Amino acid sequence: MRIRIQLVLLGGLAITPAAVFAQGARSFRESSFVPAASGPWTGPQLPDGQPDVSGHWSNTIGNHNNLTDPQGPLGRDDEAPPAEGRQQNARKPKPRSERAPSRVSDPPDGQVPFQPWARVMQEDFLAHLNNPVKPEYVEPFARCAPGGPTKSFMWHGYEIRQFPGYVLFMFDSGNRVIYLDGRPHLPGNVKLWNGDSRGHWEGNTLVVDTTNNNSKSRLGRSGEFVSENATIQERFVFDPAGDRFTYNATYTDPTVLTRPFTVTIPNRRVTDKTPADDWNNLTFPAKHAGNEPIIEAYERICVEGNGDHGQVVASESTEGKTP
Amino acid sequence: MTRGDTRYPLAAMGLALLASAVGLAQAPPRAPAAAKPASPKPATDIPRTPDGKPDFSGIWQSLSGADYGLEPHPATKEGPPGAGVVEGNTIPYTTGALDQRAKNAARATADPRLKCFTLGTPRGIYYAEPFQIFQRPRDLTLLFEFGHPVRTINTNATEHPDGHIDFWLGDSRGHWEGDTLVVDVTDFNGETWLDRVGDFNSDELHLVEHWSFVNRDTIRYRATFNDPKVYTRPWTLDVLLYRRLEPNVQIIENYCSTLDYDRYYPYPATSKLTGK
Repeated sequence: MRIRIQLVLLGGLAITPAAVFAQGARSFRESSFVPAASGPWTGPQLPDGQPDVSGHWSNTIGNHNNLTDPQGPLGRDDEAPPAEGRQQNARKPKPRSERAPSRVSDPPDGQVPFQPWARVMQEDFLAHLNNPVKPEYVEPFARCAPGGPTKSFMWHGYEIRQFPGYVLFMFDSGNRVIYLDGRPHLPGNVKLWNGDSRGHWEGNTLVVDTTNNNSKSRLGRSGEFVSENATIQERFVFDPAGDRFTYNATYTDPTVLTRPFTVTIPNRRVTDKTPADDWNNLTFPAKHAGNEPIIEAYERICVEGNGDHGQVVASESTEGKTP
Repeated sequence: MTRGDTRYPLAAMGLALLASAVGLAQAPPRAPAAAKPASPKPATDIPRTPDGKPDFSGIWQSLSGADYGLEPHPATKEGPPGAGVVEGNTIPYTTGALDQRAKNAARATADPRLKCFTLGTPRGIYYAEPFQIFQRPRDLTLLFEFGHPVRTINTNATEHPDGHIDFWLGDSRGHWEGDTLVVDVTDFNGETWLDRVGDFNSDELHLVEHWSFVNRDTIRYRATFNDPKVYTRPWTLDVLLYRRLEPNVQIIENYCSTLDYDRYYPYPATSKLTGK
């Protein structure tokens, strides 16, 4: 009998043909980690000299509910998981000391160094997250917008592909190209959800200068934001053993911040041995005649307006003309 | 030569120049118009990957105007005229499908493109925005500007997944036949159109693509449609893809579906905060 599977990623809800094993996601998750250190690359190389880091990856500490308390609560996401099984990672939070540290690794207090007015705006957004009485309170991610440079690493597993002159990130919501050929940035008025990225390798570290940020994506459902004037320096530090890397992003934005801050997110490689779940591991075994394991991810295309997100209705109730 | 002349004016001009330059003006007599269209001559001086396969890496775009209508059509207010890209000129719809196309055409605002839905395969290939091919031995990665989705053409001897999966871009498994990349595409969702005037396929479409170089900077792209739900027999479209050579060309993300609401973000707008 023919099996029909609808593979549409609704905002926040991935319907996949894989069996759903909540335990799988939990086994991938960790509440502490040792950041990878910059240094030489001793792992495999591609013919063009890049460290070979291609493959499937996922962050290990949680989703974008909360930037500064990755495994902490945010409104009813944790308090009232619905019956259909979504938000399956939701559970009573452990004490703060047993949860993953703030993704903000600098400044030391783990908070975004907002100017006072900006803190007020962030808190206002959070206060309306589940009651978006104006369109601007709807988290853009809920409408299938790309997550932006940092929040894309606070979401489902993703794939890295490398080519001479390029590193390509294929996220669950949006795709992003890092140019390694030294070309100049796009003109400044061309603002982009994922910014305009120019990178180079320093040993085991991919150093990326990201400008042209439209900054329309939030840094989490918790509402942290920067302005269109923000620039980001990202450092992807790969452990030469090949199974982990640490993402560091330093935001500079005098419009919103009192000083730069850095986000740090641990990531782990997804392999054919990674337990099936519907979150970190979005890959499937490829069908082929050989014996070697080949995993592949299917297309990831988000269709706006078909569903809700974080139990927030993101369509008619907030904007009559939302397509 | 036959209608290939009109469909590939640049390639035909190049061949004509080449012919006169090397004294081959006494080429064989032209085939009758009803005969199989002449093909642009396969190229041998082409980019190749280290393993010797044709290297399609680059940014490509069709100038065919096929998105305005695959079949031959006169000019309208909505778009330029076109000589058509369908071999034999006419898509062999079933009677019922012809009615559906007429309904689509009468309601052009229903074009999924206008809702910023992913264009699908093969429409994304000949749409009037560029796409980039990244190539590895195991696959080709196609990154489209419109909507910024990725389509993977697997060339690692893997097969279509079991059952039917509804993909916007289909499931693509390719192999090499000489210097031609042959791609078998299945698992469509049936929600895409083929052009702005309502040509369409169903989720049962089985598409076979042939990709080959005409010269270093031109790809010949042929796609054969087999979809008994919609067509009475298989049919083929045939377009050229030109390499984008502007020094500053790059695929710029066009998340079209965000344009309807992006005015609400960032919140608050920097200009409001700074008073500038």
